[in-house]
Amino acid sequence: MRCRCLRVLQMLNFLRKFASLKIALLGMALLAIGAMLSYGNPLGTPVWVLVAPMALLAVNLVAAITTNPRINQQPGLLVFHVALLLLLLLATVGRLTHLDAHLELVVGTGFEADKLLEINAGPLHPGSFDSVHFVQGPYTVEYSPGMQRGLTHSHVKVKTAAGAWEGRIVGDDRPLVMDGYRFYTTFNKGFTSVLTWLPAGGAPVTGSVNMPSYPLFEYKQDNRWTPHGSNTEIKFWLQLKTAMNAEAHWVLDAASSSGVLIVTSGDKRYEVRLGEFVDLPQGRLRFEALTMWMGYRLFYDPTIQWLFFVAIMGILGLTHYFWKKINLQPWMDEKPDTIAEQAGKPLDGIGSPSSGKPSGNNAPVTTAYLTGEKH
Amino acid sequence: MVAEVPWLWSGLGAYFAATLIAIWGVAPRFAGMPVIQNRRHEYAVLAFLMLGVTLLAVAIAERWLRIGHGPWISLFELLMSQLWSLGLIFVLLYWRLPGLRPSAVIVLPVMWILGSWVLTLEPAASHFPPTYYNAWKWVHVGLGKIFLALLLAGVGLAGVLILRHTRRGQAWFRNMPSNVIVDRLAWRFMMLALVFDSLMLIAGAVWAQDAWGRYWAWDPLETSAFLTWLLLAIGLHLRLSYRVPPVVSGLMIIGVFMLAFATYFGAPYISPAAHKGVV
Repeated sequence: MRCRCLRVLQMLNFLRKFASLKIALLGMALLAIGAMLSYGNPLGTPVWVLVAPMALLAVNLVAAITTNPRINQQPGLLVFHVALLLLLLLATVGRLTHLDAHLELVVGTGFEADKLLEINAGPLHPGSFDSVHFVQGPYTVEYSPGMQRGLTHSHVKVKTAAGAWEGRIVGDDRPLVMDGYRFYTTFNKGFTSVLTWLPAGGAPVTGSVNMPSYPLFEYKQDNRWTPHGSNTEIKFWLQLKTAMNAEAHWVLDAASSSGVLIVTSGDKRYEVRLGEFVDLPQGRLRFEALTMWMGYRLFYDPTIQWLFFVAIMGILGLTHYFWKKINLQPWMDEKPDTIAEQAGKPLDGIGSPSSGKPSGNNAPVTTAYLTGEKH
Repeated sequence: MVAEVPWLWSGLGAYFAATLIAIWGVAPRFAGMPVIQNRRHEYAVLAFLMLGVTLLAVAIAERWLRIGHGPWISLFELLMSQLWSLGLIFVLLYWRLPGLRPSAVIVLPVMWILGSWVLTLEPAASHFPPTYYNAWKWVHVGLGKIFLALLLAGVGLAGVLILRHTRRGQAWFRNMPSNVIVDRLAWRFMMLALVFDSLMLIAGAVWAQDAWGRYWAWDPLETSAFLTWLLLAIGLHLRLSYRVPPVVSGLMIIGVFMLAFATYFGAPYISPAAHKGVV
């Protein structure tokens, strides 16, 4: 028993070494330097410039919360510092389990995990999309004069837990949230040519060729594709007719858009309209439909609600501490209220607590002047 | 001339009158007497500040009606709305805390940095990005305005602490309480500023999550705002734990304010991304 107590005391003594305010200030200064180093270039800056000071601050917080009575005996300050520690831990868990990715979904097609692009996932990301089922529907994007993008209304059909399909409208700041995965529409969207390929002697295959983002690359609506088993590339150029108007309000949608597909194979060029076939040396191509694709940003972080909750709790703690501190002493009381002031010596010659007089002109300190309008 | 400009000029005129009267109230060479001891000039300052706030509110409303959205986007709008909110919160503090009234001679000229800046800008209509329809914008911006106004009030008192080291400063602020009280009052504003700054960052993170699909990405404005929060936290730790001389204390407050000022009025216009609403 005595041995255990000694061990606890030794541990507390050890922790006290890391609980100093100087270490906290050093950690904050290093974090500030790290933040300055990453200014404007967070992806190109080594992650340790932020992680190392945060780790130092986490150790300092644990030590201070455990051993410093100025923190652990004041409920508000304790809650605030525990919240700071939890925020660091939650942010760490968030980075280990997060997922960031992009996705291009053609109208009428459903979400599939293997369609994800530019995936950036934490090593502990569960990687399960079993509960994520939705189908992209039509969408509209409003534009103001000067080609200023306005609201996006993207219709999606979501499979509920009961197995039914439910319609939703998402766009801009209204993500589609499914099983913690958040799908955000982006500026990246455009037109798609749905084509059926009938290879010579093979089975027909229907697929889509996404054109570059519209109207950003309005002048460059082209793409290319090489049929399976062929060496010859087929080039596609979509001649579009949309409601686009740089000087007026207009709406981008598939319903008010039409187009002609220019197909180039080798040195031959063909104009193909909706429903038409074109015979190429490698097979036959049919232009089935003109539709659109929407680019989504996918975000997953299971800690975000907890981060919010803990941050609010921390602020409540801090507010409680400040409120108590401010209420303990009237705003204009001359008595000292901080360690610095309690040192006994005046902070300065002017109006020191000991003299209660300004040194500059020896005029009396008019404390009453500050307490209200009764003068 | 667009509808809001005459109201803006009138509002700034009222602020200018308040500034002159505030200086006249404390500066012997303007008044021809040691220090004006009565409150009449303070009531005049308060009245002109209130008039300025009202006129700027009309200017903002006129612009809102003209372009169809609030003052969220362009630097012109940002400065105009900050002049209004800083004025409004300072009016409340000026009214409720008579002890800090002489510090108006520092606060109002600082506001004039914004006042003279806005006069150099074109009041062209701005585009309202789709991500700005989010209701968290109101919370984020509102909290930010309170934060900056509290910092500004702290700067006024910090200026008093520093200027009192000169003979003229001692004369100007002889009717204010001792440095101990001024210093404590200034840091109480900084405490409140930390609370509102933290809440602003939280509300901003929620908005960013909704608007751009991430709550924090170390973009220039976020980094700058975090540095401001960190500097404020460092300042409060130092002030609450060490014996900081008034001049150093004042300089710390001014340092935090300068960083916050650069964050508000510099960083959004350096970064071409997120916070300018182009994503």
